[in-house]
Amino acid sequence: MPLQLPVFVRRSFRHRSTRVTSEGLQFLIFTLAIGIAAINTGNNLFYLPLAMMLSLILISGIVAEYCLRRLEFHRHLPDLIMVNHPVTATLVVKNQKSSLPSFSLVISDVSDGQDLDRGVTLHHLPAGASRLVSYPMLARRRGRLHLEGVRVATEFPFGLFMKKALYQAEGTVIVYPEITPLSETLLQGLTSAGQEQTLHRRGHGTDLYNLRLYHAGDDSRNIHWPTTARTSQLTVRETEAEEQRRATIRLPTTVPATHDVVFEQAVSMAASLIQHLSHRGYLVRLIVGSSCSGFSQGDAHLYDLLRMLALCERCASVGEVDASDHHQVESAEGEGGTEILVQSWGGNAGVQPDHPTILINGQPVIGGVHGV
Amino acid sequence: MAYSQALRLTSILLAAVSFIGLTLGSGLPAWLAVFTGVALIVVLVRHVAAGPLVHQAEHGHFSPAAWNLLVIIGFLGFWVDIFLVSGELLPAGIHFLMILMVIKLFNLRQRRDYLHLYAISLVAILASGSLTTDLWYLPIFLLYLVAGVWTLILFQITKAFGEESASPTSASSVQVELPDRVTPQLFWLANGLALVCFGMTVAIFFMIPRLSAGFYQKGFGENIRTSGFSETVNLGAIGPIKRDPSVVMRIEVTRQEPHSLDRLYVRGLAFDQYDGKSWTNRLGYRRNLNEESPGTFLIRGQQGSAGPRLGDTIQQNIMLEPLDTAVLFAAPFVERISGKFPAVQSDLAGPVYLPFPSASRIEYSVVSRSNPLLPADLGSDAPLYPESFARHFLHLPYRSERIGRLSEDITRSQTGPYEKAHAIQTYLTHNYRYSLDAPLAGLDRPLEEFLFIRKTGYCEHYATAMVIMLRMVGIPARLVTGFLATEWNEYGNYYVVRQQDAHAWVEVNLPHSGWIMMDPTPPSNEVVTNEYQAWKALGRILDSIKLQWNRFFVQYSAADQLAVVQELKAGGKSVGHRTLDSLVTILSPFTRLLGIIPDQLFRGRVQPQAAIWGGTVLFLIILLWLGMKGIKGRIRVDKKATLEEPRIVELYKQMLARLAANGIAKAAGTTPWEFVHVTRLRWGEANPVVASITELYCRARFGGVLLTDEELQLAKDRLTQLTSIEKP
Repeated sequence: MPLQLPVFVRRSFRHRSTRVTSEGLQFLIFTLAIGIAAINTGNNLFYLPLAMMLSLILISGIVAEYCLRRLEFHRHLPDLIMVNHPVTATLVVKNQKSSLPSFSLVISDVSDGQDLDRGVTLHHLPAGASRLVSYPMLARRRGRLHLEGVRVATEFPFGLFMKKALYQAEGTVIVYPEITPLSETLLQGLTSAGQEQTLHRRGHGTDLYNLRLYHAGDDSRNIHWPTTARTSQLTVRETEAEEQRRATIRLPTTVPATHDVVFEQAVSMAASLIQHLSHRGYLVRLIVGSSCSGFSQGDAHLYDLLRMLALCERCASVGEVDASDHHQVESAEGEGGTEILVQSWGGNAGVQPDHPTILINGQPVIGGVHGV
Repeated sequence: MAYSQALRLTSILLAAVSFIGLTLGSGLPAWLAVFTGVALIVVLVRHVAAGPLVHQAEHGHFSPAAWNLLVIIGFLGFWVDIFLVSGELLPAGIHFLMILMVIKLFNLRQRRDYLHLYAISLVAILASGSLTTDLWYLPIFLLYLVAGVWTLILFQITKAFGEESASPTSASSVQVELPDRVTPQLFWLANGLALVCFGMTVAIFFMIPRLSAGFYQKGFGENIRTSGFSETVNLGAIGPIKRDPSVVMRIEVTRQEPHSLDRLYVRGLAFDQYDGKSWTNRLGYRRNLNEESPGTFLIRGQQGSAGPRLGDTIQQNIMLEPLDTAVLFAAPFVERISGKFPAVQSDLAGPVYLPFPSASRIEYSVVSRSNPLLPADLGSDAPLYPESFARHFLHLPYRSERIGRLSEDITRSQTGPYEKAHAIQTYLTHNYRYSLDAPLAGLDRPLEEFLFIRKTGYCEHYATAMVIMLRMVGIPARLVTGFLATEWNEYGNYYVVRQQDAHAWVEVNLPHSGWIMMDPTPPSNEVVTNEYQAWKALGRILDSIKLQWNRFFVQYSAADQLAVVQELKAGGKSVGHRTLDSLVTILSPFTRLLGIIPDQLFRGRVQPQAAIWGGTVLFLIILLWLGMKGIKGRIRVDKKATLEEPRIVELYKQMLARLAANGIAKAAGTTPWEFVHVTRLRWGEANPVVASITELYCRARFGGVLLTDEELQLAKDRLTQLTSIEKP
C-alpha cells in the first residue's frame, strides 16, 4: 500500500517544488564536509556550526513557504494578441497574510506545464497589500494560448533554495497570425485584379443605373418625376450599386510536415492579405481547408477570419483534404471575385518552394511572397 | 544604508568575527594577527568613511592577474610554512587562510569573491573551534551567526537585483517595489531570523546523534603543565606554580553542606621516601581497580589498618582540566570513583590514576571518607610498627642531630603520637613564616636551612620538615601533594581550584585511627592584591558560566543523549523535571546573584554587587530605550498612516459633495472608478480633476500606500480647481 500523507500536508504542498541554487549546492557541500569533520573528530564545537547550517536550511524552507503562502493572483490579458507583436498583460498580486510580508517573488506564467518567464519580480509585498504588475508578453505561436496559472518562486531568505508554488489563474486567449506588410508586387497584382473585377450592376447607390416603368411594390420614393411628367408613365429610377469588390482567399491546409514552416508563413500571408483587403473595402471570404466563411466586411468579420486562421491546422492526410480543397475552389469560382490562393505546398510533383506561392486568379505573383 | 553597502559591511564583519575567533584561539602568530587586523580595519574604515563607490575606483590599482599572482605567492608560502616554519598542516593552513582572507577583502568585486570570503570565514570559524573549548567561542559563534544571517539575506536580495540589471532582457524585466536601502522591516526581520536560527541551532545541536566514529580525534590545545605530581618531586617544585592562576579543576560537593567546608584538601600523590632533596614514592606499583559497575571503580583496604571507617563521607563531582599528569584528584580518602574511564589504577599509597593523562577535560564523581581521630589514639604510646611499614614511613635520609634535637625538644612533654604530631605542627605553624620567596632548592641541606636559618618557606618545606621531625620521634608519616581548595563559587556552588592552590601536607599514621591529615603550613602573610571585589564576583559568575558551557556544550556526548532518550521512555514527568533542573542549573549564576543581593544589602556590603547590578540595569535601560525607540518609530509611522487616510477621505468627500451640487451624485453601488467614468460622460471638463483625486484616494484607502505631503497638497489643489470649474 503506498504511503499516504496526511490531507493537510498534501493540500499544502501539492503545488510546491524546490530547487537547489548554485550557492545552495555549495552550502550543502560545506554542511556535509562539516558533518563528516564533526563525526570524525567528535568535537562538539564542530557540531555547533553544523547545527547552525542545518537550522539555516530549515529556516530557508519555512520562511520561503511563508513567503509563497496565501497569495492571490488575478490576470488580465488583452483581447487581441498577434504573433510577434508585443502586448501588455497585467497581474494583480495580493498578499492575504495578515502579518507576514513576502519577499523576492519571481512571477511567471504557466502554459502547457511550462514556465514562461516574464521577468517580473516583486521584492517586497507587505502583509495585506496588493500590487498591480504589468509585463510585456510576446506570443511566438498562433492558436489558442492557454495560461494555466501563475508560478511564483522565491529564493528568500538565504538564496540557498528556490521554492516554487503554483497558483491557479486560468486564462485563454486566441493568438492571431502575424500580420506583415505586403510586397509592392503583390499590391500591384491585387490592384489590377480589382480593376478587372469592377462590375456595373443594379443596387443601392447614388449613380443612375437605369429608368424603367413602375411595377407594383416599387418604392414610391424612387419615382423619377421628370421622366414621368415627360412620358406620362410612372417611371422609377434604378441606381447603380456602390463598388462591391470581392475577394476569396484560399489557404489549402494539406501540407506535409516538412513544410510546416512554409505553412505558417502562408497563414501569416493570408492574414496580412485579409487585413489589407478588408481595409480597402473588399468583401472578403476565406477558405481554409474545408472551412469556408461568407463574404463580408468590417472589423468583426476581419477578426472572425483571423480567428479562423489562428485556429487552422495543417493536415498531412494528402488524399482526402486535397479533394476537399479542390471542391472548395470550384464552388468559390462560381461566386465570383478575385481568387487569391496562398499555397504552401505544390503537390506531390515538382520542386517544392521554401516559401508560400500566391496565385491571383490562377496567375502566380512573381516575387509577391516577401514582405516589404 | 544601501543594500550593496550593507552587504559589503556585513561581509567584512563576518570575516572580522572569524578572524577574532582564530586570534583568540591562539591560532595566529603575532605578525599575522596584526597584519590581518590592520587589513580588516583599513577595509572597514574605508568602507564606512568613503562608501562603495570609492572602492570601485580604488580597485583599479590591482588587476585580477595581480591578485591571482598574490594568491599563488601565498600558496607557495603555505608550502614553505608547512615544511620549514610551522611544520604542521593545521597552523600552515590557518596562516594561508588569513592571507587569502586579506586578499579577498581588498578584492571584493564580483559575487563569487563574496562567496570565497564566506567560505574562508566559515573554515576560519571551524578552525577556531578546533583550537579551543573556551567560553569565548560562544559569543564569537553568536556574532558569526548574526553576521551570517544578515550576509546571506543581503546576498540573496542583491543577487535578485544583480540578475535583473545584468539580464540581457533587462529592458523587459519588471521590478516592483524596488527598495534600495535596508528598511526597518528588514532590520527586524533579519535579527528575528538570527534569533530563531540560534534557537534552532541549539535544539539541533542537542539532537544530532553523536557518533564520534572517526579516526582523527584529539584533545584541544596543550595540557596544563603542573608539578608535584610525578613519581619523584624535588623539594621546592611546587613553588613555581604557586603564582599561576590557571584553573585546574572545579569541584562540586554534593553530599555535604558546602559551607561547612571552608577549605577542601584535594589529594594527589603521597610520597614515602625523602633523600634530602627530593621525595619519591616507592610504593608506586599500580594495579587496576575492580569495576563495581560499568564506570564505577571501588578502592578497598587502601588506608592502612584502621578497619571500618567511621568518618564523614564527601561526594564530589570533579571537572578536571587536561593536565600533564594521570593523577585523579579527590578529597581524601577515595572509596569509590565513577567516570567514563576505560580503567582506573591505584597504588599502595592511595593515589588514583588514569592509565595515561587525559588530553581533554574529564568529569568524574568520587565518594571519599576521611579518617576521624579516635579517642583510643589520645594519650597512648606509639606501638612497634612492622619492619616493612617502618621501612617506608619511618625512613630518614640521614641522621641530623639538630633536627633530632629540635624534634625531641618539641615533643618531650607529649605522651602519645597524636599529641607529639600536634606539637610539631603547632611549633611549625607558629614559629615560621610563609613565603614563596624561599630559594632552597640548590642547597645541600635545604631542610636545615629552612628550620634553623631562614625560617621562611612554603607548604613543601613545612610538610617535609614535619614528616622528617615526626619520623625522628618514631611516628610514621608521609608527604602528600595536591591542592587546597579555598575559592568557593557561590554562583555555581563549587570550588574553583587553581594552580596556585597546589599544596603539600602531611599524613600521620596513628595506631587506631590510621592515616590522618595534618597541615603545618601557616597562612600566607604575603600581601594579597586588593583586587576589586566586583571583578572577583564577575569572575566567579563567568567561571560558573564557563562550567555550564563546558558541561552542556563541550562535554555533551552520546551518553547524555542516551540518558535523555531513556528519560523520555520512562515518562514525560521526569523529563519535565530534568529539563527544569537543567534550565535552573544553566541560570543558576543569575539566580544566585539575585539571591545574594538582599544579604549584601543587610550586611551593608553593597559595593561589589552594586557595580555589577549598576552595569546590568544600565544595559537593560539602554536595551529598553532602543526597543521603545523602535516601537515609537513604528507608532509614528502607523499614526501618520492613520492620519493621512482621513485627510484624503475628507478631500474625496468634498469632491463628491461638489459634484453632487452640480447634479452628478455618486450612487451607493458605484465604485470610485465607475464614478470617474460617469463623470467623464456627464462633465468631461471636470474628469481629469476627479480622476486625479480618485486615484490618490484609492491608493491610500485600498492600496495601503502612504501619501506624501506633496500628493496631499496635489489633491487639495485639484479640489480647488474643481470648485473653479463651471458646469455648462
